[in-house]
Formats: sequence, structure tokens, C-alpha cells
Amino acid sequence: MGEVILDVNELTTKYVTRFGDNIYAVDHVSLQVEEGKSLGIAGESGCGKSTLALSLMGYYFPPLHYTSGDIIINGRTITGMAPDDVRRTVLGNDIAYIPQAAMNALNPTQKVIRFIEDVFDAHKMHMSKKEVRETAEGFFQAVGLPEEVLNKYPVELSGGMKQRTVIAISVILSPQVLIADEPSSALDVTSQKMVIKMLRRLMDGGYIKSMIFITHELPLLYNVTDDIMVMYAGQIVEKGSSKEVVLTPLHPYSQGLMGSIMVPEAGLRDVKLLAIPGVPPNLKNPPSGCRFADRCKYVMPICRAQTIPLREVAGGRAYRCVLSPEELSEAHAREVYASHAK
Amino acid sequence: MKGYRLYFGKKVIWFFVTLAVAFVLNFTLPRLMPGDPVAAIVSRMAQGMSNTSGVQAIYEQYTELFGTNKSIPEQFVLYVRNALRGDFGYSISQYPRTVADVLRSSIFWTLGLQLPAILVGWILGNALGALAAYRRGNFDRVLLPVSLFFSSLPAFGMAVILLVFFAVSLRWFPTSGGYGFDLIPNLSLTFIWSVIVHYQLPFWSLVIITIGGQAIGMRSMSIYELNADYVKYSRFMGIKDNKIVRYVFRNAMLPQITGLALALGTMVGGALVAEVIFSYPGLGSTILTAVLGQDYPLISATTLIITIMVLTANFGVELLYGFLDPRIKAAQAD
Amino acid sequence: MKHMLRQVFRSGKFVTGFVIFMAIMLTVIIYPLLITDHPLSIIGQGTFFPPGIYVNVFDSVSSPAYTIMLDDAAAKRIAGRLNDEDREAIREWLVGAGVADGEIDIANTESLLGLWVNNYDSTANVAGMTNADRNYYIRLNKSLQVLLSTEGVTLAASNPETGALEETGTVEPTQYVNVREVANVRLLPLGTDNFGRDVLTELVSATAVSLRIGFVAGIIATFIGLVLGLVSGYMGGIVDDVISFITNLFIVIPGFVLLILISFSIGQERRGPFVIAVVIGLTSWVWTARAVRAQVISLRNRDHVNLSKLSGHSIVHIISRDILPYIASYVVMALILQISAGILAEAQLSVLGLGPRTTEEATLGLMMNWALIYQAHILGKWWAYFPVILVIALIAFSLNLMNTGMDQVFNPALRD
Ligand SMILES: Nc1ncnc2c1ncn2[C@@H]1O[C@H](COP(=O)(O)OP(=O)(O)OP(=O)(O)O)[C@@H](O)[C@H]1O
Ligand SMILES: [Mg+2]
Repeated sequence: MGEVILDVNELTTKYVTRFGDNIYAVDHVSLQVEEGKSLGIAGESGCGKSTLALSLMGYYFPPLHYTSGDIIINGRTITGMAPDDVRRTVLGNDIAYIPQAAMNALNPTQKVIRFIEDVFDAHKMHMSKKEVRETAEGFFQAVGLPEEVLNKYPVELSGGMKQRTVIAISVILSPQVLIADEPSSALDVTSQKMVIKMLRRLMDGGYIKSMIFITHELPLLYNVTDDIMVMYAGQIVEKGSSKEVVLTPLHPYSQGLMGSIMVPEAGLRDVKLLAIPGVPPNLKNPPSGCRFADRCKYVMPICRAQTIPLREVAGGRAYRCVLSPEELSEAHAREVYASHAK
Repeated sequence: MKGYRLYFGKKVIWFFVTLAVAFVLNFTLPRLMPGDPVAAIVSRMAQGMSNTSGVQAIYEQYTELFGTNKSIPEQFVLYVRNALRGDFGYSISQYPRTVADVLRSSIFWTLGLQLPAILVGWILGNALGALAAYRRGNFDRVLLPVSLFFSSLPAFGMAVILLVFFAVSLRWFPTSGGYGFDLIPNLSLTFIWSVIVHYQLPFWSLVIITIGGQAIGMRSMSIYELNADYVKYSRFMGIKDNKIVRYVFRNAMLPQITGLALALGTMVGGALVAEVIFSYPGLGSTILTAVLGQDYPLISATTLIITIMVLTANFGVELLYGFLDPRIKAAQAD
Repeated sequence: MKHMLRQVFRSGKFVTGFVIFMAIMLTVIIYPLLITDHPLSIIGQGTFFPPGIYVNVFDSVSSPAYTIMLDDAAAKRIAGRLNDEDREAIREWLVGAGVADGEIDIANTESLLGLWVNNYDSTANVAGMTNADRNYYIRLNKSLQVLLSTEGVTLAASNPETGALEETGTVEPTQYVNVREVANVRLLPLGTDNFGRDVLTELVSATAVSLRIGFVAGIIATFIGLVLGLVSGYMGGIVDDVISFITNLFIVIPGFVLLILISFSIGQERRGPFVIAVVIGLTSWVWTARAVRAQVISLRNRDHVNLSKLSGHSIVHIISRDILPYIASYVVMALILQISAGILAEAQLSVLGLGPRTTEEATLGLMMNWALIYQAHILGKWWAYFPVILVIALIAFSLNLMNTGMDQVFNPALRD
């Protein structure tokens, strides 16, 4: 067991829309990431993954607002700190963020090196331009970019180069935690895999201590991250080790997300056998009981009658359902069997 | 630098191409109209003039200028050569003054009025638009409809309103002219003061109109940029807000520069009409006198001059833009 | 389509613009049904009658008279006649005659008159007064006496036989007629113009003509722009190069200047509203062509278009089914802007004296032009020009609002 680097307790944040509605897109989320470990977060589009990523940074600006909970990085609680202190000492140093839509993540009218200088400047690292440049060259080498890139404008870089440039800049202050957010619109699974591999290398090389990887493709995380967390409608519905969650998903929603690869036999491969019908609930006023109830195959009256807590199982595993792990596994097996038979 | 030189070269070529086309249009459009232009003009002149020797002189000079008996290409060469020499013949309505003589002074007044007004309006409008996008809230909620309304007012409407309010009712400023009608242009203090006083109303009416349109454009561009991914990324890399604001406004302003280049023609058109309201001694008023006096050579030369002025201003803005936007150099370098 | 409309109508800006525009359109349609006078008929002998209700004097005299006793009638009568200059003069005289300045309030007609009646003496010698001044005060006093008198005015008519004046009746200061019983009363809400025409009626008809010009110009410009944009965007290659070249040329060569040149060359005899509208349309299609081309290029390689191409659909089919629906909102927005620009262009041309030559119809620009030629703005005849400016601004404002509203609906990046 390594040391816990990121410790999040019951974090809740909300969007306040221009009509004054509150949207709780991150609802009492707790998670831990240990040194040298990676955490994958999966869920459908709109379930609050990106919002969680932004909320973890501890730096809020409208329309996103902090409501309650703690974020502790390396023993320091960053929630409640003055925003400017967070900006200067936490962002980039403790926790960094990669929007993987890297195409537009860089200011188009600024040379890459100028932005890096601005980053160092913003953190009051009193370094000469030459020192900044030397540091930057080191990081660019680590992600396999020639140093000429530093003198270019983003328009002069290819898509892949831009992505690597953004990765290099994000890790340039050697953050404790790196969050990589993959939007659902990026459909290219191979490039996602490449990015994860590069991040792993950076972690092995000691540039970053831990990382969180966000995707909408749960199966992709298998064998890639150490742990997995599944989100639904702003809540965690299941967490556990990567192997457990992918191979024996407990929550009906996770089971649904795994649907497409449960049948490895040829001919049936890309049929979404257990694809989940329906749409996620509106987060403006989510249903009071289980938020997945409307789409769940095993739904019972009790599901809607009470709030369902996250139930801990052995080995740090947890899930949010009234059924027991055995009942869930059994039901799942039956489903898979039935669809085979067809 | 190589990238910029390439861009510069392209713009120079484009400038000369547009100039050539402007000449061709100015030459052909009147000749495309049904009927014989020279005959029509001469018959119109006959009504307008009492001075028969004047009519005769214009008639001869005119057939010479047009060379109606020559072939069209020959006529065109003649026309271009004369135009380049600044020889546009005699003005019909202000005979025996030459067209060049009439235009010489009005060009100065128009340039002196419109160039600063458009620039000031552009700068103020962009500042206001940027502020509205950044501050949002009530400031924005008021500014947008107000700007929209002012940009909907025709320039001459704004001119009339300012004139009635500040010149007729309050009598703070004179109602017309470029300087006191009892003065002779010279460099005395009285004259300069008179010019400054006469300048205010035409100037501000153009500025206010320009502000409206520019503020709306800049507001949209800034909102668009503020929502851009790089803003979010810069924020989460810990960049200070005021620096991000600088990134955003620089980027939002660049399209506004191109926008200015493209809108120049429309702006100048409106401004010419506003000049008429104040009887400002510029090209707008020249057009009006030419129209009233059926002064064909004067109209033709004035439209050509205005076109050349707009093309040149446009060319200047484009060069500046290439200088300011690094993407241009980068794109040309490949 | 229905969904899009519903979204558009949920935008506050669009709805505001739409309501203003529809109000103008409805006025233009309904007003002529109610007031059927010819809009350009000359009714006033003289220029610039101010707005108001005009009551026929001749008919008033022969209408039944009612005696109404009102205390403030005399004071009001005088207040209405006594202008600021007279009041100032009265004050000067009173001060000269030794009345304390603080006692005099020239805005209060009653107290001022009281002081005057009590103190004025035509023989008194006030310091610094010239002979001319003295005569002025005597005249002023006399006219005040007439106004203050409680005597009526005698009416007389000449006897057709003897030619002598014979008394036919008197009009007492306390007599009233009921406006509804006077046979001829004319409401001129915006007065008359320099030719003596009813400005409101003229304005409504001019708005209709200007809107027509805007529509014709806008439709022509949008049509040309749409066709050129579609062709150059979809076909690409040399066709695109040629069309783009022309478009870029006319973007930098100011359309308004071309408009001046063409309008002048056409000659005034041939310049009707329709011709002007066509010329405006022909000189203002460039922006639409450019925007449509950009849209089409971004659509050209979308999956559904490629699919349509592979299925062997004709170009016409592809353009009308797979491209047009996607750019429809842009085209509508462009049309809205073109209409507004067309109305403005006509107005500007007319102010320069290059507007439509017509004796049957007015346009907003022509009304402005007439008002300016007759110096309405210098003479303070606001009703002759201000409503015109306001209508032009309101039309443009409402169209721009609709456009901005649509823009925010179709470009989510601009939403607040
Ligand atoms: N700026 C905002 N204002 C209000 N609500 C927002 C805002 N951004 C996101 N939301 C809402 O918050 C919820 C979560 O959005 P989020 O972007 O975190 O989803 P996501 O899981 O990252 O989806 P994706 O996989 O598509 O990136 C959604 O219901 C969304 O509608
Ligand atoms: Mg996301």
C-alpha cells in the first residue's frame, strides 16, 4: 500500500445556471488515489465526469460552485483555501489537468514557449527565460517532441503534436496528481490508448506521482488503470480494482456499460447486447431513490422509496444497489446467457 | 519574416488587381447604361448653363476626354491615362473650375473627418464590447440593445439628431460647414478654432454609429473566445485572470481588424451622407452638388477617388493585420 | 423545422424584434384601409403646420355655442399669448419702476399680470428707456387690455346688396363649441410637410414603399448570393476560384459608391422605386455569397452528403435535400440583414438626391430629402424628419434584433 496522495471526501459541487437552477453534477463523491497508482473514471456522456475532474482542482469559477466536502492532497486540505493561493500553489504543482481536446487547448496566437514562461511566472517560480527553456526542453524530450516545437505557434503543429505539447505542459511543474479528461466526442480509441501509455511512462519516469483517467468507454480501462470508478448522474455507483469492475461488474449500470464486450465470440462481437435503454435523469431535480431505477432491469418498488447508500464490500470494493453482490452476479449471468441463446 | 513578405506580396498584387477593376467599373458602368451618355450629358448641360462659351468649351473638352469617336479600348487607355495624371476634365456645375481642383480640397476634409472618426469609433466600440463580454450582468444587458439601436440608426439620422440638439437647440456648435463662413482658410488661431468647433458634431455622429456596430461584434467575439478551450486550460494551469483576459482580447480583436477592413466601404458610404447633413465641405457634399448640377465628370471622378481611398485604407488594415496575427506568417511559411 | 421555429420564438430578442416589425407591417397594411386619402395630396396651404387638431374656424362660429364659466380662462388665454420675451420686458419695466426684483416671478402669469395692472403707467418715466421702448410698452399694454376685457367680439358680414358690414352676432369670451359638433375637424398627428401634405399619411405610405424596396432588394441580393455561394462552394475548382475572386473584389470595392455611380448614370427619368430596388439588390449580394460558400464547404464532405452522392442523386437533389436545409437558417438571417440594408441604402441615396424620382409615391429617403432641402431640421420642424428617422431606425433595429436572436439560437457559442 502506497501513500495516499489524493483523498476526496464527500465532495459536492453544483452548476448554477443563468436561470438560477442548481445542477448537482458531482454529488457526495469520495475517492482516494495512492502514489504510483492510476484511477479510471467511466460513465456515459453527461454523467458528470468532466465536472468531477474540474471540481477536484479546488479552483471554482461560475457557473461551477463548491458546495461541501474536502479535497486533501498530500495531507493539505485545499478546499477552503483562498482562490489565489489555490491558483498559485495547487494548480499545476499539486494537481494538473489535461483537456484531451488538445486541438484548442493552446492559445492560437502565442508561441508555445511564451505560454510555458507564463505558467512559470504565474507560480512565482523565479526562473530566467533560459532556465525555463531548459526545463521545457527536458519535458518535451520526455514526451518525444523536438525542441523546435517550443518556438512554434499551435497552428504549426499537427494534432498529435499538439496533444503531446499539452501533456508536456501539464506535467511541467511535476504535479502529484494528473487528471486526463477524454471527452466522449473523441471517438478514436487507439489514440486514447496511446495517451494512457504515455502518461504511464511519465509516471514511471517520476514526472507525476499518480493519475486519473476519464473516459466513457469502461472496457477501455481494463488492464490500463489500477482502479476504476463508475459514475452515474453525478454519483459513484461502483468502484473497485480494474479487474473486478470490468470482469464482474456489480451495479446494473456497470453491467450495461460492459455489455458490448461480454460476448467475445466471433459474429456477435459488436452487438450491444445489453445496451442500456433510456436516458439519464435530469440533474436539475434527480429522482429521490435510486437514480438508475428508471432504466434498470431489476427495478423493485423499494428502489424508488429510499436513497441507496454506497455499500462497501471486501477489498475496497463498493457499489450502490439494494441487491446483494451474489444476486447481482447471478442476474447478470442469466442475462448474458439469455442473449447468447437468441 | 519570410512569411510576412509573402503575405505582403500577395496583398500588393491584390491591391493592384482591385484597383484595376475599380478603374474598369468606373469606366464601363456609365457606358453600359441605355442611351448615349455623351448626348445625354450634353443635353443636360444645355439646360443647366447660361454661359454658351462655357458649354462649348466643356463640350469640346468632353468629347476629347471621352473620345467617343474612338474605339472602346482606345477610350479606356485615354481615360486611365488622364485619370492617372489627375486630369478629370472640367466640372460642369462649377465651370471653369476643373474637377481636380474641386476634389483637391474636399478630399482633405473627408479624410480628416472619416479616418479619425472610424478609428476612434472602432477603438471605443471594441473596448465597450470587450468590457460587456467580460463583466456580463447588467452592463451587458443594457449595452447590447443600446448598441444595436445605435448601429441601426442611419448615419445621417444620427447626424440630424445631434445637429438639432446641440446646434439648433443648445447652440453649442454651428449647424453647418467646415469652418466659419466668414473666414478664409489660413493658419490663424481663429480659423483653427473654428475648424475644431465645426468638426465636433460630424465627428461624434460618425463615432457613435461606429461604436454601436463594433461593440456588438467585439462582444460576440470576446464571448466566443472566453468560452474557448484554451481559456479553461490556462486557468487550470494557474495563469492569472488578467493575463488570460489579455490573451482573450488580443484574439478577439484580430477578427475585428479584418472586420474593419471589410466594413470600411459601408462605413464610408454612410459617412458621406452624414457629411451632407452638416454641409461639411468633403466628398459627400461634392457628390450632392454634382448630382444637383448634373455634373457627370465630377460624379465619376468622385466615385473613383472614394473607391481608391477605401481600397488603400483596406490595404493598410490588411498589412497591419498580417503584422499582428502570427498565424498569417505561420500559414504563409509552409 | 417546427422545432427550430419554436426555439427561435423562445428568444426574447427575436420576439421583441418580431413584434416591432409586425407592428410596423400591420400599420402599413391597416392604416390605408381606414384613411383612404391619397398620401401625397396637398392639403395645407403653406409649409410645416405643427402637429395637432385643426378645428375649422368658420364652422365653429356657426356651431351651437355653450357658455361655460371658468375662473382661469382669462389667465390661460393670456398665458397662451404672452411669450417669454414679453414677460422679460414686463419684468424689466417693473424693476425700472421700482418693484423689487424678488417679488417678480415671470413664470407665474397671474401674479405678473397683477403687478403690471397695478403699476403700469404709460406716462411714467422709467430710467434708460428709449422712445421705441415706450411705444412697445404701450402696444403691449393695449393688447393685454383686449385680452383681459370681458367684452365679446362682434361678428359682421357684408351685405351683398349694399356692400355694407352688418352685425350678425357676437362671440363672448365665455362661449365654447363642442368639437364634435363642428362639421370640419382634422387631426394632423404629425402636422404637414413642406408641401402641405399630411405627414402621418405620407409616412405610412412611404414606409410601405421603402419596405417594398427593402424586400425586392433583399430577395434579389439573397438569391444571387445564394446561387453563387452554392455553386462555388459545392462545385469547387475553377468555378469556385472565379466566383470567389469576383466576390472578394466586390467586398472591397464599396457597393454604395457603385450604387451612386449607377443611379446617376441611369438618369432621373428612369429612376423609379423598383429600379432603385433592383440596383440595390444587384450591388449587395457579396456578403451572402461569401457566407453561403463557407457554409457549403463545411457541409460538402459530411457523411450524409457523401451518402447522397454515392446513391447517385443529381446535383439538384443533393443541393436541395442535403445542403439547403442545413443552411436555411443562415440564408434567412442574411435575407433579414439585406432587407434592412436595402432600406438604408435607398434612404442614403435619396438624401444625396439620387433616390427614386416619383410624384406618385414617397419613400422614407425622399421624405428625409425633402425635409432637409426645406431645412426642417434648422427651423425646428421636428415632425417632418424625426418620425422618418425613427421609422428607419425601428425597422433596422427590429430586423437586427431578430437576426441577433436567431444568431444566438443557431450559434450556441454566443449564448449568454
Ligand atoms: N456550464 C454548465 N452549466 C450548467 N450545467 C452544466 C454545465 N456544464 C455541464 N453541465 C451539466 O452537468 C452535467 C455533467 O456534465 P459533464 O460535462 O461533467 O459530463 P461528462 O460526464 O463529462 O460528459 P462527456 O462524456 O460528454 O464529456 C450534465 O448534465 C451537463 O448538462
Ligand atoms: Mg466530459
